[in-house]
Amino acid sequence: MTGKYFGQPIKRLEDKHLLSGRAKFIDDIEIPGMLHAAFLRSDYAHAIIKKIDVSEARKHPGVVAVYTAEDFGDYWKPGPLQVPPPTAIKGSQFNARTLVPIAKGKVRFSGEPVAIVIAESRYIAEDALEDIIFDAEPLPAVIDLEKAWEDTSVKVHDDLPSNLAALVKQEAGNYEEAKKQADVVVSRKLYADRVAGAAMENRGFVVNWDERNQEMVVWATTQAPLPLRIAIAGKMNLIENQVRVITPFIGGGFGPKIMTSQADDVLLPWISMKLNKPIKWLEDRRENFLATTSERDQVHYCEIALKKDGTILGFKDVFYHNTGAYDPYGMTVPLNTQTHTVSNYRIPNFYTEIRMVFTNEMVVTPVRGAGRPEGVFVMERMMDAAAKELKMDPAEIRMKNLLKPEEFPLKTGIIGQDFVEGVLDSGDYKGNLVKLLEMVEYEKFRKEIQPQARKEGKHLGIGVVAFTEGTAVGPYEGARVTIGNNGKVSVATGISTQGQGHFTVFAQIVAEQLNVKVEDVKVITGDTNHFHWGAGTFASRGATIAGTAIHNASVLVRQKIFATASKFLGVPEDQVELCEGSVCVKGKPEISISLGELAGKANPMRGAVEADVKPGLEATAYFAPPHGATGSGACAIIVDVDPETLKIKIDRLVLVHDCGTVINPLLLEGQIQGAISMGIGNAFYEKIVYDENGQLLTASFMDYLMPQATDMPNKMEIGHLHTSSPLNPLGMKGVGEAGAIPTPPAFVQAVEDALIEYNLDIADSNLNPSMIFEYMHRSKK
Amino acid sequence: MIIEGEHTFKGPREVVYDMFNDPNALATAVPGMQKLVKVDDTHYEGAINLRIGPINASFAGVLSLSDENPPESCTLNIDGKGMAGFAKGVGKVHFTDLGDNSTLLKYAGDVNIGGTLASVGQRMIDSVAKSMIKSGLEKLEKTLEERWQQK
Repeated sequence: MTGKYFGQPIKRLEDKHLLSGRAKFIDDIEIPGMLHAAFLRSDYAHAIIKKIDVSEARKHPGVVAVYTAEDFGDYWKPGPLQVPPPTAIKGSQFNARTLVPIAKGKVRFSGEPVAIVIAESRYIAEDALEDIIFDAEPLPAVIDLEKAWEDTSVKVHDDLPSNLAALVKQEAGNYEEAKKQADVVVSRKLYADRVAGAAMENRGFVVNWDERNQEMVVWATTQAPLPLRIAIAGKMNLIENQVRVITPFIGGGFGPKIMTSQADDVLLPWISMKLNKPIKWLEDRRENFLATTSERDQVHYCEIALKKDGTILGFKDVFYHNTGAYDPYGMTVPLNTQTHTVSNYRIPNFYTEIRMVFTNEMVVTPVRGAGRPEGVFVMERMMDAAAKELKMDPAEIRMKNLLKPEEFPLKTGIIGQDFVEGVLDSGDYKGNLVKLLEMVEYEKFRKEIQPQARKEGKHLGIGVVAFTEGTAVGPYEGARVTIGNNGKVSVATGISTQGQGHFTVFAQIVAEQLNVKVEDVKVITGDTNHFHWGAGTFASRGATIAGTAIHNASVLVRQKIFATASKFLGVPEDQVELCEGSVCVKGKPEISISLGELAGKANPMRGAVEADVKPGLEATAYFAPPHGATGSGACAIIVDVDPETLKIKIDRLVLVHDCGTVINPLLLEGQIQGAISMGIGNAFYEKIVYDENGQLLTASFMDYLMPQATDMPNKMEIGHLHTSSPLNPLGMKGVGEAGAIPTPPAFVQAVEDALIEYNLDIADSNLNPSMIFEYMHRSKK
Repeated sequence: MIIEGEHTFKGPREVVYDMFNDPNALATAVPGMQKLVKVDDTHYEGAINLRIGPINASFAGVLSLSDENPPESCTLNIDGKGMAGFAKGVGKVHFTDLGDNSTLLKYAGDVNIGGTLASVGQRMIDSVAKSMIKSGLEKLEKTLEERWQQK
């Protein structure tokens, strides 16, 4: 579906602000009399707090107030569970221990806040932190996931019988029965390592309690402005519309900014009201690494049962998932892992078990991919292991088992993060792989390029994987579209934006329906005074769910334009049409009325008003899908490995993707490229490392390695398939996380292929040169 | 962090052992040591300024001796903290008489570090510790030379 604006490669409208320094970010917010906050954070990962002496800090010149947990009295409470527990899954256990705003009695991870200083400047606040005497008695730290699961382990939460945060067993079919029919059963232990969101901009929070207006205005870098408003109003005992949350331009979200119960979210509104002063807090990079959230720390015990010809009979996966010190995000991440492990291939029998454990580490919540990359990594690695065992080509075994277009919609039998049984709505998974193999010239690579390179002493290897991305999840989003008297259009929606290009794609959706220029559509996201219903930006749902609500509202406005114009032009509705920026009579373009003038007339004055008046060329609409839409794709990576230094150059990366209908192919390309760079980072550069005492060893970009432009593939090629989703009127599926999902398994497979003489069996999703060296060393033995 | 190594002092074992029990000798030997005060026979309170990569911070703490078996061995315990984190460690020190008025020092310890020291400094701390030990031992070597010659 390509129209005048919809589906066109229009350049991003927001870039002229962003690239010329005219965009407003959170640190640009300045309010007269504004105070600044700084947190004292625990150096210990696990400790009993004996005493926090803030008396000297309170005397520090320029310090206005210093608080510890006790100072907040009854206001101090563990935060809300941000997503509900999995009541839909029979027999599941879940122990909610939600995030506490500031440590009380006990510290559970290094970096947890223990005191907050409010001062005239951030410099003073930070200096005063040094005056606080924090006396704590360290306890042994719980770090190893499997040891943490044992009953004998030290406990993170003393009131629980163990470190069990959740236990969920799901089964589709009967794995043990299937195993009996199998010719081969392959088992592996696999690891998905932990990475940060590492957005360009850290978190920030500015709050101003206006005593005279009895209104609280909050500027926040949140992905969820409306849930944040509800949370603040609830905590402060205000009605929701006394709290206005505004998200300015944000330098990247990637998941961790979804939280609404961090220390700043909870404590700063209370302090602002108490002091009757505006307060600003900006997170520094070390705080972001230590104490925001991160993701992907799982240990999987997998088994795949197959027939000799490579047909999969069953899959079993028992995995440990690290939730960190608290579990405010419920089970979203490991449930996504469960649903994505078996979302590509025909797997009639599947047993999956989540063992979610508390540890003395920072909290785990979604980071771009949110459990999906782990599920896909595990499945793809097991396909590689099966191919090796059966001496089959990795592409061939995948082609054999991929689901066919006629099998959709397919119920998976596994309940996912939205607590309904997973349904794969549509797709052409084989088509993705066919196109990928063509684009990457797989045959030619195997038969000519690779053998020739080997003769020349070069270690070239290829990895080929398939993947899905569950996107466009509920609950719902809404939008209001209004035509102004100047003929321009505004559209307001409840989600916030972190650089995705919403100002462009939403304008395209509106412009297509109303036949106005995209530049004439003003998009407003993330201001709760403009639109106050919705959930937020996550799970590739912005363009799909809010975009559909915007489409629905635009269709209603279009109908209203036709009805109103018909009245004023004196012709039947079917005789009017939209000319650019105006409405004209079909065949007589000289008889027309501009949209601005029509908007004025749609606001009736005395004498013209009708009883059931619905003023304005305006409409509000919502969209709630029955369940998420599943995007799909396939990815190939060709690497050139230097076996001496283990420096790896990615020669080619080809990704074929199907996100249904495309709003803007240019932005689609950008989303995929960005996520691929994150996937490459995850595969070979980025890694969060804790030592055995719970000390984070990677709290700066010196130790947490981000991929650079020079680490990107020599050639990055993206192909597209377009299988419309039946779940929304435009047929869209999300794409935000796609590139990050298949990259690690494709990379690992390619490295194994390049070093084929070593017969490596790589179990980790995040590699680096020394790890590969160790694998080679062990393999030689 | 595991720290271990050995060093041969040109001096008799008793003198070397005594030197290791003298806070003044130790205070001048350790780079950045601001003070080291004897609290009782086995406890010293100290303050030290450390530079580890981007970290430049002071730490206060207690150094204590245990398992004293003069002049053969003793155990050193350190427990210090500051704005940039904390360090807690145990080290075994062993002195062997090599006969020709020289003494072999063997040391092995395990130090846990936390806070900024760990999260930002861990990459540098091994080499900083090694260089501190090296320059400390050189200093002690000189002290020993003076002391022994005086005798």
